[in-house]
Amino acid sequence: MSGLDDIAVNFRLNGEPRSLMAPADRRLIDFMREDLSLVGAKKACSVGRCGACTVLLDGQPANACLLMLWQLEGRDVVSPEGLDENADVAILRAALASENAFQCGYCAPGFVTALIALLRERPDADDAAMRAALEGNICRCTGYHSILRGARAAAEALRVARAATAGEPA
Amino acid sequence: MTAAVCTGLRRPRTAQEALVMAAEPDARYVAGGTALQLEWARGEPMPTRLIDLGGLPGMRGVSKDGAMLRIGALTPLADLLRHAGVRESLPLLAAAVRTTAGPAVRTLATIGGNVSGGTGCLIPALLALDAQARVVSEAGRSTMPLASFLGRAPREQALLEALLVPITQPGARWTWRKIGLRAAFTPGVISVAGLLSFHDGRVVAARLAVGSGVVVPTRLPETEAMMAGARADAIDWAALHRLLVGTIDAPADVFRSARYRKISAANAFVHGLGGELAGGVQAVMRQHSLTDVRPPAGEIRLARDMAGDRWHVRPDGPPKIAGRLEYLTDRREPGMLVARIKRAGVPHARIVSIDTAAAEALPGVAAVVTHNDIPGLNAFGIVMQDQPALCFDKVRHVGDPVAAVAAIDAETAARALDLIEVVYEPLPLVDEPAAALAPGAPLVHATGNLRTDLGLTRGDVDAGFRAAAHVVEDVYVTPRQMHGFMETEGGYAKVEQDGTLFVAVGGQHGGRDRMQLARILARPEETIRVVTSPTGGAFGGKDELSVQPALALLALKTGKPVRIHLDRAESVVVGQKRNPMTIRMRTGCDADGRLVAQEVEVLADAGAYASLGPGVLETALEHACGPYLVDNVRTRGRLAYTNNGVCGAFRGFGANQMTFAVECQMDRLAAACGLDAFAIRARNMRRPGMKGYLGQTVSGSERLDEMLAAAMADPLWGEPRGLSADGSECLGTGFALAYQGNGLGTLPADLAGGALRLAPDGAIEALYGLDEMGQGLLTSIRGAVAQALGCAREDVRPVTGDTGAAPDSGSTTASRGTYVAWRVAELTAGPLAEALCAAAGESLGRDPASLLVVAGGIAERGSNSGDVLISFADLARALPPDELPFAATSFEFPKSDVFTGNARLIFAFGAVVARVAVSRITGQVRVLDLNQHTAAGPMLDLAAYLGQIEGGGIQALGFTLTEDAPMQDGRHLTSNLDTYLMPGIADVPEAMASFALEDLDPGDPHGPRGTGELGLAAVSPAIANAVADATGHWPAVAPFDPEWMLDRLGEAP
Repeated sequence: MSGLDDIAVNFRLNGEPRSLMAPADRRLIDFMREDLSLVGAKKACSVGRCGACTVLLDGQPANACLLMLWQLEGRDVVSPEGLDENADVAILRAALASENAFQCGYCAPGFVTALIALLRERPDADDAAMRAALEGNICRCTGYHSILRGARAAAEALRVARAATAGEPA
Repeated sequence: MTAAVCTGLRRPRTAQEALVMAAEPDARYVAGGTALQLEWARGEPMPTRLIDLGGLPGMRGVSKDGAMLRIGALTPLADLLRHAGVRESLPLLAAAVRTTAGPAVRTLATIGGNVSGGTGCLIPALLALDAQARVVSEAGRSTMPLASFLGRAPREQALLEALLVPITQPGARWTWRKIGLRAAFTPGVISVAGLLSFHDGRVVAARLAVGSGVVVPTRLPETEAMMAGARADAIDWAALHRLLVGTIDAPADVFRSARYRKISAANAFVHGLGGELAGGVQAVMRQHSLTDVRPPAGEIRLARDMAGDRWHVRPDGPPKIAGRLEYLTDRREPGMLVARIKRAGVPHARIVSIDTAAAEALPGVAAVVTHNDIPGLNAFGIVMQDQPALCFDKVRHVGDPVAAVAAIDAETAARALDLIEVVYEPLPLVDEPAAALAPGAPLVHATGNLRTDLGLTRGDVDAGFRAAAHVVEDVYVTPRQMHGFMETEGGYAKVEQDGTLFVAVGGQHGGRDRMQLARILARPEETIRVVTSPTGGAFGGKDELSVQPALALLALKTGKPVRIHLDRAESVVVGQKRNPMTIRMRTGCDADGRLVAQEVEVLADAGAYASLGPGVLETALEHACGPYLVDNVRTRGRLAYTNNGVCGAFRGFGANQMTFAVECQMDRLAAACGLDAFAIRARNMRRPGMKGYLGQTVSGSERLDEMLAAAMADPLWGEPRGLSADGSECLGTGFALAYQGNGLGTLPADLAGGALRLAPDGAIEALYGLDEMGQGLLTSIRGAVAQALGCAREDVRPVTGDTGAAPDSGSTTASRGTYVAWRVAELTAGPLAEALCAAAGESLGRDPASLLVVAGGIAERGSNSGDVLISFADLARALPPDELPFAATSFEFPKSDVFTGNARLIFAFGAVVARVAVSRITGQVRVLDLNQHTAAGPMLDLAAYLGQIEGGGIQALGFTLTEDAPMQDGRHLTSNLDTYLMPGIADVPEAMASFALEDLDPGDPHGPRGTGELGLAAVSPAIANAVADATGHWPAVAPFDPEWMLDRLGEAP
């Protein structure tokens, strides 16, 4: 598959510095799933059209199947595994779980990643903003409304949590 | 990395360096790189040199430059959307960016990349904005009109550094519309961008441009000239429309015609720039007799906030959401090999020879298998074994498997595939079912191309039609819908230490997969363990074997664990699809609307192998009259082999295709005889207790009257219909009844079973050979067992989809899983409770009759406190492992009493009300509201039930509006999710509401009905009937053709 020579690349993956020599065009999704056995991000189209492999690239959602290793120099990548310690993500995941937002769940990590990127940037995101932020994620099971309900609940829970934190004495 | 032979990445520091590098042979600039994977997937060659522009200074960001915004070429699209200055100063561009790609792609994709490729969706917007290109070339820096940059000679080295875009002045009128194949994140059919500037009430400048996809981006100078100088309030929109249609240059592709592109673009310009659309809207809103209607007593809205203590979090939800749940394709083990399968690549050919020597010799290849490695029957198929595990004499479709490779990694396996040499002798192609049945057609199978020919004649159909006052006839065409499960086919296999072959591949009936594998491998079933759960979606598409035979052969040959996970592109080619059907339906009624004759003729494409196609056709015909009574019926269905991929089971299983036709016919007849859509159904509906369509006894608890009442009382009828506020859409509301059989029917064996036991750790294990595919099996089993046994849901641990751990329950298909889950619990809970109480009695020294099962363990019967006397865990610890309570059962899924045809006993009922908006600009249909009423007995789990109804509804919406996998010359024209368009979030209704009516007749023995297919059953005709309410025209071809719609609307002069 690889047409390009190995290059040295340095980036952060889930907070850990990575230095490697690898084919420049090796895709991030294959690097994670095949080389590192990090399988939280899913591979479902390989052409950037389903969002199942969404990761955070410097905090923004990006398709790991479109990203090649040469593009990662100096960048910060967070896969679903790297979101485990994050308090906001825990609130988001809990809200989605409470709503039974997903069924087969294969698309779920990608949706979570797209949603956390949105809710960090726009805690006040309304339905239209949520729909816009999820246009790149395909779910075949649910019809999306359960995901939207979960996302609304999550946004509200995050607002409550932030208000509580802000209200605490420093 | 030596310079002489280096192929690879270049990282220029300056634009001049980049230009020098670009002059090297086979070099290419790359910025965000988002187009590359798609291009390579299409087979375009990889350049040997990629020039990464990311390091060039000064090419990122937006700044104000006089009356212009300067946008660096490397600015990601996401940054443009975030930029307040862009939104305020260039609203047209912001609107265009908003419709380009999806959010995660926009993080990477740059404006320069979009423009430099020459086909980007942003180009028409930038042309209309009169953008200038800031370019670096050997001659230095220069600024030129964007069109000049795009039109430069191919050999001319030029690097786009920035775009200079004049700020849009207040008072200007602009429009942007990207017409696509679905609502968002879609390939462009055509995009229009227009900007009018005014002075003193006159147009002083008009710039119009089109582009996107196959449409070459270009300004429309004739139209601009015509508008220039015109009075703002006296533009001749009709003349403008004619000129646009006459001058827009747009080609056709397999999805849309050239004519459609031109007309929809002209409509978009006229509407977007303030004109009136041409067509006279003839919305014939049908009246409904909606007086004093009430929803059926007991119907409840399904929603978390109304569910109270009936809302349960599914146990597999949290690990899935956290990405922690291991799917079978996620498995990684030390030394695990990776498999790939060699596909035919030609649709019909005789195999002359297969040479695997070079592949076997490739370092890193562990094994290659072909048909020569198959010790048993080289054939499989759920009903008839006409499909080779690995082809030997001929290939019948492009995805047929010919050989398989196991290697140390995917790349090596892929290289090995290329080294396998298969010599074919081409055979004539059969690519249409009608052609397949023509005399002298080439044979796909030696047995003939007519796979199945079914029919029924009852009464005197010809006399019925002669007596009819009204006859409606149409040809309904349904698509080759793809299951589109997000987890494509795959899993792993290995040989255990005791010699057991372990095969873990997502499926829908492990017991049957094991039987089929045993037959292929000539091994006793007991030596094979098959795991089929969890899997990331199935919908019928994982019912048949796919990768299992090749995977098993490779594991056996290498003795090592082997995994496989099909790429989406491969899954599209090899995976089963819904059988495309052409249904000619002719229906007659008398002057009072009573049905007097029904004639149905179906021609279905089987593809290359039968799989469950014959059953699909049979089920379609079983629903040929829906729930309506017709004395005179003639049906015929034929299923033809072709070289068009493979088709088979898909949620709905033929019933939804037929229901689309039947329920549209009912509305059309109602219109013909002046009845409303409810009255004609009420007049013709079967009554509870009557024999079924095939003369069979059917189960009780029929709820058609109630569903009709629910539809009539639905609040959507009170929502606006007619022309939308801006005049661009016609709104309408429609409905359809759902009537869906459950189970496999009378003819196939339909055995079921399961068991409960107290596990050594104190869990109540519920052992089912059913599969968790997303539908909520685990939570449903917990609900069923907790209810039957009296324990808590949390006490129950379902063990599913593993032939080594659970008994055979039959397939997880045909809306039968829920029933099986419930019935097993009903039959085993009593004996298990008895055994638990006996064991607890002994342990506690109490009379077992004084004890009962409660949440967490065993309590005293009638105790006020309900305190647990002994927990399940303590009880388990107190017992020797072989004395742990256990209760098992097996039974046949309930069947009707007619065996001359496949006649189902149990049906579920529903009514779907849809409100739609039909675009007068594009002819596309948006579903605004979707309300689904269902009657499927008591719910085992409310959330899972809701999920089935909502999810099924949207899968049906895709079937109706956007989904098809067309084929030409035996090859798929869609290869991935870029052109196979499942509904995205922008396609789903603004509002959805789901309802359930749970009650059963007294003494009804059948408990909960299945909902797996009910949510999909009648959505298509509800949408079609709503379209007819809005426009007066019923679309009969799904997915609905927007060009046909524009013609009907009179918007395509």
